[in-house]
Amino acid sequence: MEIKNFTITKRDGTKDQFSLDKIMNAIAKAFESVDEPADLGVISKILAHLDIHNDITVEDIQNQVEEALMREGFFKVAKSFILYRQEHTEDRETLQKMQFLSEYMESVNAATGSKYDANANVEHKNIATLIGELPKSNFIRLNRRLLTDRIKKMYGKQLADEYIDKLTHHFIYKNDETSLANYCASITMYPWLIGGTVAIGGNSTAPTNLKSFAGGFVNMVFMVSSMLSGACATPEFLMYMNYFIGKEWGLDYWKRADEQADLSLKKRSIDKVITDYFEQIVYTLNQPTGARNYQAVFWNIAYYDKYYFQSIFGDFYFPDGSKPDWDGLSWLQKRFMKWFNHERTKTLLTFPVETMALLTDEDGNCKDKEWGDFTAEMYSEGHSFFTYMSANADSLSSCCRLRNEITDNGFSYTLGAGGVSTGSKSVLTINLNRCIQYAVNHKMPYLQYLAEVIDLCHKVQLAYNENLKELQEHGMLPLFDAGYINIGRQYLTIGINGLVEAAEFMGLKITPNDDYLHFVQGILGLIEKYNKQYRTKDVMFNCEMIPAENVGVKHAKWDREDGYFVPRDCYNSYFYVVEDDSLTILDKFRLHGAPYIEHLTGGSALHMNLEEHLSKEQYLKLLQVAAKEGCNYFTFNIPNTVCNECGHIDKRYLKECPECKSKNIDYMTRIIGYLKRVSNFSQARQEEAARRFYATA
Amino acid sequence: MLKYVNTGIVFQEIPDEVTLAINISNCPCRCPGCHSHYLWDDIGLPLTSAALDDFVDQYGDDITCIAFMGGDGDPKGVSQLAQYMHKEHPQFKVAWYSGKTVISRAVNKADFDYIKIGPYIKHLGPLKEPTTNQRMYRKTADGDFEDITSRFWRK
Repeated sequence: MEIKNFTITKRDGTKDQFSLDKIMNAIAKAFESVDEPADLGVISKILAHLDIHNDITVEDIQNQVEEALMREGFFKVAKSFILYRQEHTEDRETLQKMQFLSEYMESVNAATGSKYDANANVEHKNIATLIGELPKSNFIRLNRRLLTDRIKKMYGKQLADEYIDKLTHHFIYKNDETSLANYCASITMYPWLIGGTVAIGGNSTAPTNLKSFAGGFVNMVFMVSSMLSGACATPEFLMYMNYFIGKEWGLDYWKRADEQADLSLKKRSIDKVITDYFEQIVYTLNQPTGARNYQAVFWNIAYYDKYYFQSIFGDFYFPDGSKPDWDGLSWLQKRFMKWFNHERTKTLLTFPVETMALLTDEDGNCKDKEWGDFTAEMYSEGHSFFTYMSANADSLSSCCRLRNEITDNGFSYTLGAGGVSTGSKSVLTINLNRCIQYAVNHKMPYLQYLAEVIDLCHKVQLAYNENLKELQEHGMLPLFDAGYINIGRQYLTIGINGLVEAAEFMGLKITPNDDYLHFVQGILGLIEKYNKQYRTKDVMFNCEMIPAENVGVKHAKWDREDGYFVPRDCYNSYFYVVEDDSLTILDKFRLHGAPYIEHLTGGSALHMNLEEHLSKEQYLKLLQVAAKEGCNYFTFNIPNTVCNECGHIDKRYLKECPECKSKNIDYMTRIIGYLKRVSNFSQARQEEAARRFYATA
Repeated sequence: MLKYVNTGIVFQEIPDEVTLAINISNCPCRCPGCHSHYLWDDIGLPLTSAALDDFVDQYGDDITCIAFMGGDGDPKGVSQLAQYMHKEHPQFKVAWYSGKTVISRAVNKADFDYIKIGPYIKHLGPLKEPTTNQRMYRKTADGDFEDITSRFWRK
């Protein structure tokens, strides 16, 4: 080996002067550690094997030393050297964790401090959230290993390598890699109604009265949520509650809600007892949860108009043989919404995320006029919730935006109501902006390149599904075994992100126009083609525009670093550009209308950002517009004002507190699906939120 | 001739309606502190009955009302367009935002469903302020106009 003035590249990327002494020292130490004599001659022989070039990395030199030791027959020394390196690697990892720990403590909030999977569903950072953060990198490694091992078995090493390559170069993104559990589910509570929580590892028996329903429900949701990485929807919540209230005071309780219901000194009315249970359930479920890294459980519920109720629960029977009572449920749904809306002026309550399911006629009018009017009324009173509209009660969004076709409305004595169960086992997201730019830059037809990526995603998802089946075979997934989740109704989800940015790269205008529509349909149609192609009687695929709470920011950052065209700092989950103030509200409904969302079988949610609340009549008109355009899932988002000084909460979007006149205020808004304080979101997401255009209406 | 610069879908300007607001240029009012300085010059596209037909084609039943924002330079022209709207497209309400304190005699009030009058006077504030000088009127079933300005103050 010729000695020259080399520089070497250290592990942190910095350069240093090459030092032969350091290498000789390390080799001498390795010999020493196994009591093997090493004179200069031996060491020189080993050094002679080394091929040092400028900017060589430390790792590379050490690899060469390992090999040289073995070539010269010093196997014991080589082993010691390898172990020594491993120890140092582990040391460095611990050091990295310690550095992360101190950075996390310094960060402004939990979502900004989080290195992986930033999530605003965590109010404060503390020791509990830190404990949740630390093992995340290990989970990612473990999940990748589990998945690539399976891919190798099913499709060979080449595809496994291809997956890791696409993943590490950010063409695709595996959601929730920091958790082992399957993603989200809309559950049926029927197994709990029959047998309590024993089948999923709990010790409570079936609820028998309103009190045990309310207490048991909370525990059951906690248990179910700890076995999911995402949301848990309980679309039967109010229907069951109505049943137990009826058992307490008779089915016509709602006509006598003012009657005294208890003999305590408080002399509570039926209505007061019911709203006290609302309070107990809602406040408990909004608490940070130990089993979920101090996140609250992500809890969703649904409301129905009369037609949806009949379609979904028409054949339902309670264990005593009775059927659900619509009149009572209709009253209870309204009571809950009014109560929850009012409660939100006292406390910042994020959950439940609510979805109103409405059936519409050909003209876009709500078939159940009473519930259409009530929906508009609640929006005009400033309540924030989602609406799902459909011309047939053959589909439903009961789990955030996740939409499912209701093919089985039947009631089963083991599974309860069929129509409410759905969910996503796993989400794998395609970064459309990068994929399309890569294809165009390499002179490939972009749909042809996308087809390869989409095909890869389907194979990876099938591999994930096999791993999940193995977990289930070993009894690790009691939610499936006990019937809370029907595995046959769970989707493998292909997510998309960066669609608008890709369209802009192709020179398209992001307005309702034929070229943009053609582009959108071409891509989403291609995904749907593969979803159908890969569907079997055991697996179903869907496609979803993911909310991308943290990956939307990451994709923009990564793509910009790698020299791609990136028109904004965050890829959002809408068909329009969030900061564009030239689009009208009607344009946005159009851009989320039937032709655009047709192939988004997993759903998407339009967040109609407004500066001010509208009147009931105006909301009614917009419901009609939404129905006519075929925009089936949406919410109106008017930031609520929270005063940091006096704590006053106002439903309006204000610049100063109307109570104490302070300008030190924060807002509650839906940056993505759920209502949270803006200051809970990560720094990058907060900046993105500040640029959004709220239509002055 | 009346010209317009741009349009927008608005909710706060006319209570309970989903309104297509047409911003008319060449405004003679020139209120100090005006928020729409760009409408002072004689610019934009001709606002004709044909242009109104195009809007109706474009928005269809998604809107409930068409509002002329300005046009005080040619009140008769605005009145005629309002008449045309009611005759050809009776499903829509018609509104007028005028900056004058009284309605010109050239105008047939019956052709409008909503009329706002009054210039913008900075210290009195816009319609939203209870101190405002501006007034919003709505036509009642018997053809009279009632003052609904207080609708803007609620909350």
